[in-house]
Amino acid sequence: MKIFDPHIHMTSRSTDDYEAMARAGILAIVEPAFWLGQPRTHVGSFVDYFNSLLGWERFRASQFGIRHFCTIGLNPKEANNPKLSNEVLEMLPRFLAKDGVVAVGEIGFDDQTDEEEACLFRQIELAAQFKLPILIHTPHRDKKRGTIRTIDVVRRAGFPEERVLIDHNNEETLPIVLATKCWAGHTIYPNTKMDEQRMAALVKKYGTDRIIVNSAADWGISDPLKVPKTIAVMREQGIADADIQKIVWDNPVAFFAQSGRLDVSDLDQRPAIDRTQKFETNSVLRGDQR
Amino acid sequence: MLTVVERVLAAALGPKRWDGSNAPLLVAYATAPQHVGREALALSPAELDELRAAAPDVGFERWTRDDAARALLLIARRNSGRTGDGFVTDALECFEQGDAREQQSWLRAIALWPEAKAFLPNAIDACRTNIIPVFEALACENPYPAAHFPDRNFNQMVLKAMFNSIALARIVGLPGRLNAELSRMARDYAAERTAAGRTVPPDINLALKDER
Repeated sequence: MKIFDPHIHMTSRSTDDYEAMARAGILAIVEPAFWLGQPRTHVGSFVDYFNSLLGWERFRASQFGIRHFCTIGLNPKEANNPKLSNEVLEMLPRFLAKDGVVAVGEIGFDDQTDEEEACLFRQIELAAQFKLPILIHTPHRDKKRGTIRTIDVVRRAGFPEERVLIDHNNEETLPIVLATKCWAGHTIYPNTKMDEQRMAALVKKYGTDRIIVNSAADWGISDPLKVPKTIAVMREQGIADADIQKIVWDNPVAFFAQSGRLDVSDLDQRPAIDRTQKFETNSVLRGDQR
Repeated sequence: MLTVVERVLAAALGPKRWDGSNAPLLVAYATAPQHVGREALALSPAELDELRAAAPDVGFERWTRDDAARALLLIARRNSGRTGDGFVTDALECFEQGDAREQQSWLRAIALWPEAKAFLPNAIDACRTNIIPVFEALACENPYPAAHFPDRNFNQMVLKAMFNSIALARIVGLPGRLNAELSRMARDYAAERTAAGRTVPPDINLALKDER
């Protein structure tokens, strides 16, 4: 089974995680730009973060045989400081233009403030300008209302729904998203959001069209192997391999291929690992291993 | 106990407490526990009564010695003549440069200042934290949100408390701030939890306007 995890924050994860992910069959991942657990206070912190997603992290993934893509955007949790958010939005274009950036994201709502809405709208406009899809973060709190509001903003911006992936769905929001042309992501977490059993039940109820699952593993309690673990549960529940393959590979690949920056010709081949390679003189090897 | 904290602190700071700059305050604010410790404040009933008379609804009974020391430092800064915008600037530096523990102390005392309203954007922003003790320092045993937050931010704070299994009874002034939108949010939250096969917080009725 070919596996694509379309949402995982590898910056927060260890080399053990990369090894386990490769062993479990994960071939490619998308790392969305998000927040780091506490707010950044200077625009330069964002510049360095975006550069690390495109640079060191992509290189690090390659050292474990995993293709790494990213999305770039100002997340809603850090969109409420107008001075900082303006500075970040102004420098976004030079990152959105880069290879390896396959969407604008994560963008959307957190507390559902006017400032968050303004940043979301401006970034949808940027996505249109750079012909990129968008990855939407839906809020933890007041999620149903936040999802409806997000769809309203997408429509007001006149952005094509088939280029929108709305993430972190649950039983309440999935039917709302499927009633649009947007794609529906599901984050499988150990305690919150969605779990494997509930996900299998949703697939049985709603089918596989536009359905995507991810681990969204980050610096909190989360599990980078949640996509393979969900595959196991879906099999147990009698879901056909072809359907599972569509959810964990075909769908995310088709969605992000809309960026024009995902070379699908050899995506399912594991890249050769050459650990003598270096990134700006840095290697993942230590001392004697070099 | 308060006088002990005050005396220890005065000795630690020495006679040249304040020159023109805010630097001595920032250092003292950060290092307060080194001088007074981190234990519970353990106020006498008389001290507690006196404080409650001056500042109702502030949860002094949960304060630690370093919380008190930091509040006293800010009082000393005000008494040195830095009031109004000057106080706001100096106090905000303590908050913005503070670690989680310093921010907790700062938020616990936020309702004490005549300039309190000026801190509203910072208080709203503080509610976005993922560090639950920092969130609790503002959301719980603290009269500030009910007194100053607009409905939208107050509602988000209550929902976040539920989300983090914090007892709603700890939110000061909640009964007086109930509103239809908060009831709608709480009901949606209960529906979402039920659909996910999870339990609904037992005290969710405290957020519902029409079921009290």
